Amino acid sequence: MDAILEVRSLTKRFHGVVAIDNVTFTLERNKILGLIGPNGAGKTTLVSLVSGTLEPTNGSVLFEGALIHQLPAYRRGLLGIARTFQVMRPFPGLTVVDNVAVGALFGAANGSHKLSGAQEEAHRWLKFVGLDHRAAQRADALGGPDRKRLELAKALAMRPKLLLLDEVMAGLNHVEIEEVISIIKKVRDQGISIVVIEHVMKAIQSLSDQLLVLHHGEKIAEGKPEDVLSKDEVITAYLGRKRS
Amino acid sequence: MKLGLKLALAALVVGLLATVPWWGSPVMVQFGINALILATLAQSWNIIGGYTGYPSFGNSVFYGLGGYGVAIAMVQFHLPFAVGLLLGVFLAVLFAFLLGLPVLRLRGHYFAIATLGLAEVMTAIVSNLEIAGRNVGLILPLLKGDTVFFELSLALLAVTTITVAWISRSRFGFGLIAIRENEEAAAVMAVNTTLYKILAFALCSAFAAIAGGIHAYWITYLDPSSAFDITLNVKMIIMAVFGGAGTIFGPVLGAFALSAISEILASKVTSLASIFFGLVIVAAVVFMPRGFADLVRRFRQQRWRYFQENIKAHRV
Amino acid sequence: MQLLWQILVNGVLLGGLYALMALGLVLVWGVLNIVNLAHGALIMLGAYACYYLFTGFGLDPFAALPVAMVLLFCLGYLIQRHVLNLVIRAPMFNTLLITFGLEVVITFLAQITFSADFRTVNPSYAGANFVLLGATVPLVRLLAFGVALGLTFALWLFLDHTGIGRAIRATAQNLTAARLYGVNPRRLYALTFGIGAALAGAAGALYGVVSQINPYIGSSLTGKSFAIAIIGGLEKSIYVLVGGLFLGIVEALTALYIGPTYTDVVSFGILVLVLIVRPTGLLGRTA
Repeated sequence: MDAILEVRSLTKRFHGVVAIDNVTFTLERNKILGLIGPNGAGKTTLVSLVSGTLEPTNGSVLFEGALIHQLPAYRRGLLGIARTFQVMRPFPGLTVVDNVAVGALFGAANGSHKLSGAQEEAHRWLKFVGLDHRAAQRADALGGPDRKRLELAKALAMRPKLLLLDEVMAGLNHVEIEEVISIIKKVRDQGISIVVIEHVMKAIQSLSDQLLVLHHGEKIAEGKPEDVLSKDEVITAYLGRKRS
Repeated sequence: MKLGLKLALAALVVGLLATVPWWGSPVMVQFGINALILATLAQSWNIIGGYTGYPSFGNSVFYGLGGYGVAIAMVQFHLPFAVGLLLGVFLAVLFAFLLGLPVLRLRGHYFAIATLGLAEVMTAIVSNLEIAGRNVGLILPLLKGDTVFFELSLALLAVTTITVAWISRSRFGFGLIAIRENEEAAAVMAVNTTLYKILAFALCSAFAAIAGGIHAYWITYLDPSSAFDITLNVKMIIMAVFGGAGTIFGPVLGAFALSAISEILASKVTSLASIFFGLVIVAAVVFMPRGFADLVRRFRQQRWRYFQENIKAHRV
Repeated sequence: MQLLWQILVNGVLLGGLYALMALGLVLVWGVLNIVNLAHGALIMLGAYACYYLFTGFGLDPFAALPVAMVLLFCLGYLIQRHVLNLVIRAPMFNTLLITFGLEVVITFLAQITFSADFRTVNPSYAGANFVLLGATVPLVRLLAFGVALGLTFALWLFLDHTGIGRAIRATAQNLTAARLYGVNPRRLYALTFGIGAALAGAAGALYGVVSQINPYIGSSLTGKSFAIAIIGGLEKSIYVLVGGLFLGIVEALTALYIGPTYTDVVSFGILVLVLIVRPTGLLGRTA
């Protein structure tokens, strides 16, 4: 088993509130892990702990076998971890292509360090997510679905080994969701390991090799999608009552 | 206008300006030196305030350290001016690294206040140092003729502006802009935000220090309150913002425009330069808060409504 | 030991005045989110108002104080209503710049009106002292301390127990909600700024009695008020009292043990340290 990401007994406390409680899991290389759970379960917090936006209270995170939970966020980016934000974080004053170019300039270990090269790469990633026609527009002029595409392109431009996607499908219609699913599969086919936080159940089911269910910061289920989704605890967590 | 063309034009202007001491009046040359030094300060602020988005209210420290570097080297140790400049730059950059590290962790107005506090502390410390002449200050050796200082200031402004131009097209600059636009996102996208912020701070400190050194030698006198003049901070910020923060030529234009306006108004009613400067600041912040560049861009569409729109957007 | 006690007494008396100086700044900062770089200039104007009422009309400085407060209130109201209100929703950076511009204008007008000479308000009882447990307490300083505490208390009463005061606090927390309850933000903001200016005026009047004034004291007093505000913490007006007393005592101790020229080094040094280590102030809750 080639684990690209290992999370061991990870705990995060905020002023007495336990956001993540003793979570342990492993992600194998080139697989897709779906991270689900009701709102407020701690999914984004978990991703932030892996990406370095937050520091854990207890526990450890290993990336490709090395401990990373003490490293600052930018170092983890250099190692090959990229993430999108649920509340989107563009660089508002920059154009769409420049937004993505930042990722190409800094994230890729073997990427271009020259501006022109980075912008060329940015265009390629924009084409990949279907946003190249808006390359010259300001990032803050984009609408919701396009912003999600931009988030994705920025992360991809970093040529990550591990991609953490936080609700990239929220607010999209069926057609757009299908597009995103196929993009994610293409990314996986390029050898990238992915963690996907999602509420769109059909998408999660079709994408994930493994599912991890969080509730109140605790892992309550883990395994193959069809097994996990039929478990009582999972259904109760979402619906609040047993299915008869 | 392409950048290459703009730079060529700028080079032409620099060449023309360099001839001013030979045909301009002494008053004009003196005005020029002051304006050039202020422009350099505004441009150096542009690096940390305009491009990186950290509005430092303490760049006067670097200016003062530059001045005192020159003064101490020349007066206490009888070293040449160039060595004094190096000393000043060294002190300023050291300060930027040592104190930049803790202070650049602060955001927004807390950063502004911290830098203002640092400026006050330095003023107070220096006024207690024997080697700096305490409160009385130091008197520097006299170098006759303004021409040398004019050319030096012009050269300094040119170098500073070229540096800013390089920043705007470089990977380093992109990192700074990313930090300005969204620091958390920049960190996640593998920008070493701490290092970049400190480098930007150090870079602007060096230019401000040289400006301070040239100015001290020119007026041959230095004391804590004039070297670390707190009002300089706001002047350079206003000039950079008025001209257009985060642009290559904005701060230069802003500095010259504001200096010229103050000078012209002052010459009509003698010695009232200060009050007009204050009034101009108030008017500029109310009517054109995004600077001159923005005004020019939107004036074509909106005409006089531009000013109205700005007020409507910002008032209650 | 005796000397230390005297220094502490001096520090506390000074601290009360310092707290009053910073009070107006904190009020305006908390409610309007305006960082007023002209605050010291308003203090300076209050000092001159008291001075001219004293020398021109023979009014005892402590009687002139309310008059100075009213004058500064009107000035503050007008400034906010017609100038600052225009930029109040702009990024805070803009208010920093515009209040600086105002500071330049006010200082300059003061300079040409009042001349640059140092002045002091010297009531007949200026030299009177009495002794408290071995420390000499100048009467004027004790009176100033009393007035400062009284005004701080009065502000707290006002904010907590009057309708307008509660409206001000509500607006500070949630402008939209306050509007729904019928608060007129323009007038309320102007009122609040007026109160802040009045407090500054009071501090200035007291300052004129215990120290020398000239048109240029504004900027250093602004700096000092900032230091007090940040050190104490911005959340409650009572924190300002702690900040003021702290700074007063620290400055007195510094003057004794290190040297009087080092007080600014220590004051602003502590300001920077507090910002770096504990930005919410000595008393504020960590964010």
